[in-house]
Amino acid sequence: MNLRRFLLRKVVYVVLTVFLIASLNFFLFQVLPGDPTRVLLPKGCGGSNVTACPLREELMQEWGLDQPVFNRYIIYMTNLLKGNLGTSITFRPGMPVADVIAPRLSITLLIVGIATVISLWLGVVLGRVSGWRRGRASDVIITMSTLFGYSMPAFWVGLLLAFYFGVATPVFPVSGDRSANFSSMDLISQIADMGWHLVLPVLTFVITNVAWFSLTLRNSLTDVLPEDYMVTANAKGLTETQQLRRHALPNARLPLVTAAALYFGWVVSGAIVIEQIFQIEGLGKLEWTATLNLDYQLMSGIFLIAALGVVIANATADVLYVLLDPRVREA
Amino acid sequence: MSTNAAPLDTYAIFRERIASDFTRFRKFLVQVVRNRLAFMGLIIILFFVILSLIAPLIVGPYPTQFERTTPELPPSNGHLLGTDVQGYDTFTLLLYGGQVSLLIAFTASAVAMIVGTGIGLVAGFYGRMTDQVLARATDFFLVIPWLPFALILMSIMGPSMGTMIVAIALVSWPTTARVIRSQVITIKQRMFINRSRAIGAGSPHIIRKHILPNVMPLVWAEAVLTISGAVFTEAFLSFFGLGPKDNPIFSWGTMVNQSYQDLGLLSGRWWYFGPPGIFITLVVLGFAMLGYGLEDILNPALRRR
Repeated sequence: MNLRRFLLRKVVYVVLTVFLIASLNFFLFQVLPGDPTRVLLPKGCGGSNVTACPLREELMQEWGLDQPVFNRYIIYMTNLLKGNLGTSITFRPGMPVADVIAPRLSITLLIVGIATVISLWLGVVLGRVSGWRRGRASDVIITMSTLFGYSMPAFWVGLLLAFYFGVATPVFPVSGDRSANFSSMDLISQIADMGWHLVLPVLTFVITNVAWFSLTLRNSLTDVLPEDYMVTANAKGLTETQQLRRHALPNARLPLVTAAALYFGWVVSGAIVIEQIFQIEGLGKLEWTATLNLDYQLMSGIFLIAALGVVIANATADVLYVLLDPRVREA
Repeated sequence: MSTNAAPLDTYAIFRERIASDFTRFRKFLVQVVRNRLAFMGLIIILFFVILSLIAPLIVGPYPTQFERTTPELPPSNGHLLGTDVQGYDTFTLLLYGGQVSLLIAFTASAVAMIVGTGIGLVAGFYGRMTDQVLARATDFFLVIPWLPFALILMSIMGPSMGTMIVAIALVSWPTTARVIRSQVITIKQRMFINRSRAIGAGSPHIIRKHILPNVMPLVWAEAVLTISGAVFTEAFLSFFGLGPKDNPIFSWGTMVNQSYQDLGLLSGRWWYFGPPGIFITLVVLGFAMLGYGLEDILNPALRRR
């Protein structure tokens, strides 16, 4: 396959999907009844009458609110391209959504990144055992316990951990991502301090998500084991470990790439509740605040960023898949 | 050749069909019982469904706001799981909570199945442009992060039973559509479809009489898995305080939300924090086990080991 054409197609896919998501975002908010400025202006502005709010005229101008729907759509898309995601009504005075989101993005990405790496690693370790020993006791124990973790709502697990390791026996901090005297520490202590604060949030992630990876690997190992080359490997007299390491795993690992990308959509959703519970000032806690205050433009901004992340992750996975699998590459 | 054949005994055919359906169903049940995963899941589900249905028999009618007692009582004989911050008996709330959680999950799943199966059938059967458009739409909805999307939907439509069902259905149909579509594509190539077309059957007839009965078992498996996800989604949305406001009965998710808002667990009152969470977990697990078990039974290709 022509790699360049493939990459180009992926880029087109990303752009098109993001465009569609932005359009969906626009049209979703068109169903809101009443004066649109009512939900876009800071609460209490202009007293009981929103038309008295001085910001209203500006808002009408910026988003073309007095124009037909098609014009508004064009204006919305143009504003998006300029990086204008709207104005938050929660963070006064009318802070641009992009400025609200940007500083909070890095901590979310950090938590999600660490949690994904650990879940992936643990998932491979567990999935390898349960896939290889399918049906035996170790498989049943691993599958059932990871599935149990997967069935628990993340917010509930987070609160349980916060209670047992933060309140009942205070081992780990349960609030925030750094100590109060963070800025006066040297770099090493800063990293240690942050890591210490992130133990419980990351643990919550891992418990509720590791099944995603362990089950994927287990299933793909099940597909691989009956293959002819596995019979050959066995006939050659390779030990079980050698069969697993050299022949089964390299083939069974590929679906994990796709799994990791699809998982990203879940991660965003998981991050939202976990950050709220551990009071970490990231995207998730922001979404909570936005939902509670019905800050629509902030909500739609976060939704756009989250969707963008998922789309990019998916496209990356598709590309990686091709690069990693010689069969797909040559086809 | 059939001019002088005996007149068709429609009643006998009907009876035979019922009998064969019944045998098929019994065989299927035997398979479910033999599949440990599916059977355990089924037991868990039945337990919770029956428990929420007979809640009035165990704890009497749902308490009105005048039937409250001292708030935050620890568990005792009178109150098995103590009382919550408003003085409601937690055990009563817990049993009734299942009614809301399960009702929303079942209905949302039913809606998602109708939409997902319909789209999967049409896309898989008609192929070409129809498939291109529908499959792309499915992929599109599949990559949308479900929680932020559902939160926006709920905030726009307002928190009620109906809107929550719509929101959950909207985020859960794509998986089914994709599974059904790929199944339809394989069935479409089988010989009996060609034969049916050769004797003049139209597309709607083929879809209804030949394709649908063949994908139906898979639809049931998907429905069970979707219910599992729906219970989960409902819990998340209710935890955000978006639980249905038009229903006086608290769902399990709303109970956890209440206890979170009142610092129930952090001040050591585990009894109205723990139980609803455990119930959510077990129900989600039960449906997931039954769903995976059914997929195992229905798709023997997955069963080779």
